[in-house]
Amino acid sequence: MKILGIDTTTDILSLAIVESKKIIFDYMVSTPEITHSSMLVLSLREIMKITRVNINELGGIAVSIGPGSFTGLRVGLATAKGLAFSLSIPIIGVNSLDAYALRWNELPGILCPIIKARQDDYYFTFFKKEKNNDRLIRLEDYQCLDWMSINRIFDKYNEKIFVFGEGLGEVISDNQTKYFKEDKVVLVVREQEPPGARNIALMGQERLLQNKEDDVYKISPFYIKKSAAEQKRKELKIRQKDINQDD
Amino acid sequence: MTKKIILGIETTCDETSVAVVENGEKILSNIIASQVKIHQKYGGVVPEIASREHMKNILIICAEALKKAGILLKNIDGIAIANGPGLKGSLLVGLSFAKAVSFALDKPLIGVNHIEGHIYANFLVHKNIEFPFISLIVSGGHTSLILVNEIGHLKILGTTRDDAAGEVFDKIAKYLNLGYPGGPIIEKLALKGGKNAIIFPRPLTKTPNLDFSFSGLKTAVIYFVNEKKKMQGELKVEDICASFQQAVIETLIHKTLIATEKHRINAIVVGGGVAANESLRREMLKAGKTYNKKIYFPSKELCTDNAAMIAVVGYYKLMKGFSDSFYLDVYTG
Repeated sequence: MKILGIDTTTDILSLAIVESKKIIFDYMVSTPEITHSSMLVLSLREIMKITRVNINELGGIAVSIGPGSFTGLRVGLATAKGLAFSLSIPIIGVNSLDAYALRWNELPGILCPIIKARQDDYYFTFFKKEKNNDRLIRLEDYQCLDWMSINRIFDKYNEKIFVFGEGLGEVISDNQTKYFKEDKVVLVVREQEPPGARNIALMGQERLLQNKEDDVYKISPFYIKKSAAEQKRKELKIRQKDINQDD
Repeated sequence: MTKKIILGIETTCDETSVAVVENGEKILSNIIASQVKIHQKYGGVVPEIASREHMKNILIICAEALKKAGILLKNIDGIAIANGPGLKGSLLVGLSFAKAVSFALDKPLIGVNHIEGHIYANFLVHKNIEFPFISLIVSGGHTSLILVNEIGHLKILGTTRDDAAGEVFDKIAKYLNLGYPGGPIIEKLALKGGKNAIIFPRPLTKTPNLDFSFSGLKTAVIYFVNEKKKMQGELKVEDICASFQQAVIETLIHKTLIATEKHRINAIVVGGGVAANESLRREMLKAGKTYNKKIYFPSKELCTDNAAMIAVVGYYKLMKGFSDSFYLDVYTG
C-alpha cells in the first residue's frame, strides 16, 4: 500500500511516497519566494507523473500536524484533508518533532529536536531510546521556549544530548556556552532540514498498520501556541483579576 | 441543456462557506459558518484566529453542503475558489483544500475574484440583468465602483482611499461602545434617530473623481462626540447613528450616479455586506426612479460573504472555457 507523506512544517516543502520499506520518491524543494500553496499540488502531480504512481493507488495520507509554521501547517493539512476526503482514504497526522527524532534515532544519547517558532522561541521536546529496542520514549512535553530556557532543561540530564532541527541560528551563535564546551550538548545539524515527508510517511504507515488513523473531519494542526491576540487577551484578564484581588 | 454543477468555496475573510450551484442560477446548498461571535470580543477580525477557524470548518462545511444538495463529490463539474482579495492565511486554507479536491477528482479548478462574486450574487436573484452595468460593492473590506462589460471583466472606476464603508460602521460602533459588527447595530439605532439631526461631511462629493474616503467622516463623528462631551451637552446616540449613516449612504449614491452619467450606463448592481442596509436599499431605489436607472440588489442573505456567489462566477467562467492551473495562488489586495 502506498502512503503519501506531506511536510510543510518549515519553509521547505517536502513530499514523499513510501510503500512498506521502499521509498518511491522523497522530494524536497526550498523556494521561499514561491508559496507552499502554489507548489504543493503542482509538484505532487508532476512527481507522480514521473514515478508513474496513479492517485488511486494511494492507501493513505500522512501529514505533519506541527508544531511549526502556522500557515505552513494549514496549507499541508487542508491539502491532506481535501485529498483524503476526495479519495475516501485514511488520514494520519504525525507530530513534526516525532518525525525529526526518527530521522536521528541512531545517535547514542538523548535527542532534542527543535523547530524555530516566532520571535526568539523554539518548539522542542526530548527523547530517549528504550533499552534493548529502538523505540523512542518522549521525556518532556512538547513545548515552546527560548534557547536559554531550553538550556536549563539540559541540567536535568546527565547523558549526552544531541540537538538538531530547523532555524538554529541563535543556537549556532551560542555554541561556545559551557554545554558545548563540556561536550555535553552536541549540535548535529547546521543547515536547514525539515522533519521530512519520508519520515512522516513512514510513521503514518506504521500507525495505519495499527489501525490508528485520524478523523478526517476533526484532525487539526498542533499549534502549541495560541494566537497572539488570544495570548494578549488572556494576559489582560489575569492582570485585571490581580487588580481586582488587590482591591 | 445538460446540468453543470459547481462547488463554490469562500474563505476570504471570516466566513467559511461552501455551496453547490446548478447552472449558475439554482442554489442546491449554500452553507455558511460565520465567525462573528468569535471575533466580537476583539472588536474586529483577528487574522490568525480566522485562519484557525477556517481550518476547523472547511471539510465539515463542504460535507454538509454536498449532503444538503444531494450531490456526490465525483458528480460535480468544477471547483470555484475565491482566491482573493482577502486575508492571506484565510485564503490559503480554502485554496489548498480546493486544489486537492480538483487534483484528486480531476475536475477543473476556477479561481474567482471575491468582489466579482459579490456582483454576480445578483444573478441568483435577477434573471434579466443586461451588460454593461455599473456595480457598487460595499462591505467591511471593500468600497468600489466598477464598470462591468462582461463576465470576467472588471474595470475599477473608483475605490476607497482609506477605510471601507463597512469598516467605518465598525469603527464608529466601537468608538461609541455599541459592539461588533457595527453595521446592523448602527442601522437599528438609526431608526430612532434623525438623519438630518447633525450634518456630517459627505467626503469627496465635490470632486469629479470616483474615489471614496471615509476616514474624514469618521474623524468628524469622533470630534463631534468629544466636543459634546466637553461641553457636557446631551448626546443622542440614535441621532449620531442616523446622521452618520445618512452621510455614508448619500456619498455612495452620489458617486454611483456620477459613474453612470460618466459612462452612460443605465443599470446599477449593488453588492457586499453593506448592501443589506435597509436605508441604503430604499434610498438607492428612490434615486433610481428619479434618475431613470435600473437598480439591482441581491437578497439580504446573499449580501454577506457566501460561496454560492463564487460558484456563479465559476460557472460562467467555465462556460467560457476558462479554468486555472495548479500554479494558482492567493492575492490579498
